[in-house]
Amino acid sequence: MTASRVRLTAALLALALGACAGPARERVDGWSGVGAGETVVVGRIELVPQLRKEEQRIDALNSGSFENLVYLMADDKNRVLKDEPKTADYDGRIEATLERTFFVRSSDHPFYILGGVLWLEIGRGQNKAYFPGGLRVPVKSGDKAVYVGTVRYYRDEFWNFSKVTIVDDYDRANAEYRKKFGTKIPLRKALLTPVK
Amino acid sequence: MKKRIWLVLCSLALAASAGCASSGHERNINDPTNSLVFGFVDMDDAPTSISYASIQQVAPPTEEPYWHLSVRKGMFYSVYLPTGSYQLSSFGGSGFFAGEHRYNFPRQGNQTALRIDRPGIYFLGSFKYKTEKSGMFEVGKFSMQKVNKPTEAELLKRILDEGSGVKDSAWRDRIQARLKQIK
Repeated sequence: MTASRVRLTAALLALALGACAGPARERVDGWSGVGAGETVVVGRIELVPQLRKEEQRIDALNSGSFENLVYLMADDKNRVLKDEPKTADYDGRIEATLERTFFVRSSDHPFYILGGVLWLEIGRGQNKAYFPGGLRVPVKSGDKAVYVGTVRYYRDEFWNFSKVTIVDDYDRANAEYRKKFGTKIPLRKALLTPVK
Repeated sequence: MKKRIWLVLCSLALAASAGCASSGHERNINDPTNSLVFGFVDMDDAPTSISYASIQQVAPPTEEPYWHLSVRKGMFYSVYLPTGSYQLSSFGGSGFFAGEHRYNFPRQGNQTALRIDRPGIYFLGSFKYKTEKSGMFEVGKFSMQKVNKPTEAELLKRILDEGSGVKDSAWRDRIQARLKQIK
């Protein structure tokens, strides 16, 4: 295998995520993309300290698909991810841009955040940071829009996570929600809860 | 508790290895803010020995985070590192039958993580390469198991004897002082 092939391999592995994994929960900006029996899930992922530009080295054609993006693995059933997540684990993921509120379409059933992946390096090698999961998204049947909170991950420079908190930043999220979705349907607050 | 890390083994052309480990850092060996960082890896069970190694600066942020390490028969070291946070990034080497290999360390859960708060001498440890099981279509995996030999003192003596320019630098007194301390 040559140097260029290693680069290619890493890039291909990254591309494979998009090509082979099932779809993510779709991002939505208005009610037109939301069907009956579906809910808009609103939340946010933050890192403390924030991700620095130099910490992510993405040398791939579709680098924008990875920069500042955490892949949150989600499933209807809670389970513990062991070792490297499989391609199937990415099905129904939430693609959350760090420090920005996400709005994704989901069924109106509760689900679980199993963990997260952030690509740190694609190109010279490939390296990822793995985020802890174990969070329940308490969507209820009939919910149309649910605010789940800001997940704040505290970490050090070696990507050891020391603490995870769920922060209630409803006012800010609701203001963004109302701009996109209007005021007809209220945003219900249902913060993420740690799985016991 | 035995601590293990999973690492990814990749094959790579030698041409690339030389370029990748580019230090891009110009520092004087006698700079009093330098630290000596060193360690050892026993590659007897690996496909190849190592001929190059790099350590990554993870803090403070920098555009050139990779520092080249000198490698001598399993021993790796740098006498130029400024204060900051580091961890081993990769090793590489070649064998007649095995070809070129590069051994990558993960950014997260890396057991060689090191914070240098003030200039000094930092021993990362001695390790033994161990091949780990991986699937037929997966890249190779290995772990690094901590071992007791060679000791810090043995390696420091080797750096003094074999390190390029070390004996004739300010490092001689610093290493000898450290050797007295750990006797």
